[in-house]
Amino acid sequence: MSDSNGNGETLLDRLQRKRDGRNVDPALGVLSGEGSQQRVKDPEGAYPAHGQQVTHLPSRAEPQREDAPSYYGLPAVKEPVWIWSIPTYLYVGGVAGAASLLGLAADVMGGPRLAKLGRRCLWVGTAGDMISTVLLIHDLGRPERFLNMLRVFRPTSPMSIGSWVLAGSGGLNTLGVLLAHRPGWMGVVGRSAAAGAAVLGMPLAGYTAVLLCNTSVPIWQATHRALPLFFMSSATAAAGSLLSLLPHAPHEARVLRPYRLAGKVAELVTGVAVARDAARVSEVARPLKEGVSGALWKTSRVCSAAGLLLDVLPGRSRWKHVAADVLTTAGALAARFAIFHAGKASARNPQATFQGQRQGLGAAEVKGNTLAADGKPLKFPLPVLR
Amino acid sequence: MGQKGFFTDTTLCIGCKACEVACKQWNQLPDDGFHFTGMSYDNTGALGASTWRHVAFVERPVPLTGLTKGGIDFSWLMMSDVCKHCQRAGCLEACPTGAIIRTEFDTVYVQPDVCNGCGYCVVGCPFGVISRREEDGRAWKCTLCYDRLGEGMTPACAKACPTESIAFGDLDDLHARAENRVRKLHEQGMTDAYLYGKDAENQPGTGGLNAFFLLVDKPEVYSLPPDPVVPTMKGKRTWGMVALGALGMAAMAVGSVLLGREARS
Repeated sequence: MSDSNGNGETLLDRLQRKRDGRNVDPALGVLSGEGSQQRVKDPEGAYPAHGQQVTHLPSRAEPQREDAPSYYGLPAVKEPVWIWSIPTYLYVGGVAGAASLLGLAADVMGGPRLAKLGRRCLWVGTAGDMISTVLLIHDLGRPERFLNMLRVFRPTSPMSIGSWVLAGSGGLNTLGVLLAHRPGWMGVVGRSAAAGAAVLGMPLAGYTAVLLCNTSVPIWQATHRALPLFFMSSATAAAGSLLSLLPHAPHEARVLRPYRLAGKVAELVTGVAVARDAARVSEVARPLKEGVSGALWKTSRVCSAAGLLLDVLPGRSRWKHVAADVLTTAGALAARFAIFHAGKASARNPQATFQGQRQGLGAAEVKGNTLAADGKPLKFPLPVLR
Repeated sequence: MGQKGFFTDTTLCIGCKACEVACKQWNQLPDDGFHFTGMSYDNTGALGASTWRHVAFVERPVPLTGLTKGGIDFSWLMMSDVCKHCQRAGCLEACPTGAIIRTEFDTVYVQPDVCNGCGYCVVGCPFGVISRREEDGRAWKCTLCYDRLGEGMTPACAKACPTESIAFGDLDDLHARAENRVRKLHEQGMTDAYLYGKDAENQPGTGGLNAFFLLVDKPEVYSLPPDPVVPTMKGKRTWGMVALGALGMAAMAVGSVLLGREARS
């Protein structure tokens, strides 16, 4: 507006303004507001909340409404916007991390006979890191800005930590693949890089659980103690199975077998722990029992159990081993998708948020407060005041 | 500068939605489409990427406490919801790019030119405020009219509110004002009135909200969580479990190599 008073104003402008006042300042029509940069393809249906079904009308009070109110059954927190590439990454990243780690152990303690296994682990780790990066970038709303992930380091954000871990692990693994087999100082650099990547492999397999737990999604937050252990043991089982599916020598099989078996047992045990953590509040545990996520979760548990059972059964036939490893891989993948979709379903259910917090899974879990935000006791039944 | 915020007194809200309109207009936010929810006078639904103020309409089959005249067994609760600009903001602590910052007015602001749309803030918010617009690919939320504040102006919603249900100002002034209001309401018999998220004592999980509310029913009735927590507060425990898991993974890797090696000899 101040521009028009400056030198840009012509005599005609001034005359017109004086005469009829109709020449509106074009600056008024410029879209410069904070939200005007939002890209819109289709204004109709642009807002996802409108598609949601209203579960009950307030005038038709339901019997349980008094103890468990909600705003027309609408979600209290936002559903994750992530797509299929995230649960896939949860699997791939875990496999890459666990494989790199086994590679380091084989290199350091396995002697020359296990050198080939170490190298194969290094390759699996590198390929996993590369695929992970592609999957993560594919999920971004603005993929061309993926480098912004490395713009800052924010210790409070598991995603920031994870980006650095993945970048570090990918870079070091690549260096290892390129240099580790060379003689002289280049080999030393390559082997150190591979060792660094292997150490980063452990947080790479585990941080993804922190990434999920560090959210307001009720079921993810409620399982914040068991989920990291589950993801890490599942990664071990999946990496062991994948390496066993790849061609390998009989003496290498003797290393791979205990690795994948330990992982499979740990995965089953920690899987039970995850379900138990969620089961503290019935509404929170719901997605693991019903719907798509419930079916996926059950499938994953059955596949993992069958994979372990088939593996320990006597018999040396090739198909038996392949079937066991395929089942474990399917179980690990299904578990990631189950946890992912359970989170989506959990965020959609306002009672998962409300009842979880009423039963002590909110700030009370860390802060020990006994009062809710309205100054009354957290737990129902609340004193009826009217 | 100083700490700025909103005090939204829901007992004064008449549900005119002037705040929604003013916000849309000032920030030139895109259309949400003309939809009919069929549930109440609320056809907006919830806060989102292009809805930074949302008026909730709660229809209750009970009278307001302290209401003695008229004998109506019915009451409306209306609340203009907005981003809370938490003292410990879940979105800010989750943002991996540094796109979300705390401004000189102690508000939380998303820089659209930095955001890469990772979607982590969307699940980081304990109130379900911030959201990503699918076509746009970036996260958006209330800026507390950062552009207006810079010019010493009142945010558009507070400016447009005809009943001063939305009060804008320095946080200390707002706290005093809110406490006075609660005292007055209690004297008048509306003993249900309380402040939601005034400070860290009231809401330890968020450290207090810069945009806090005066409510007269349970928070859930307004779609507000009863005991919200910034997820990062539980981060230490989770990372501890990762450390434990790392030990386990290392033990499994080393153990199987040793086992496999010994079996050979």
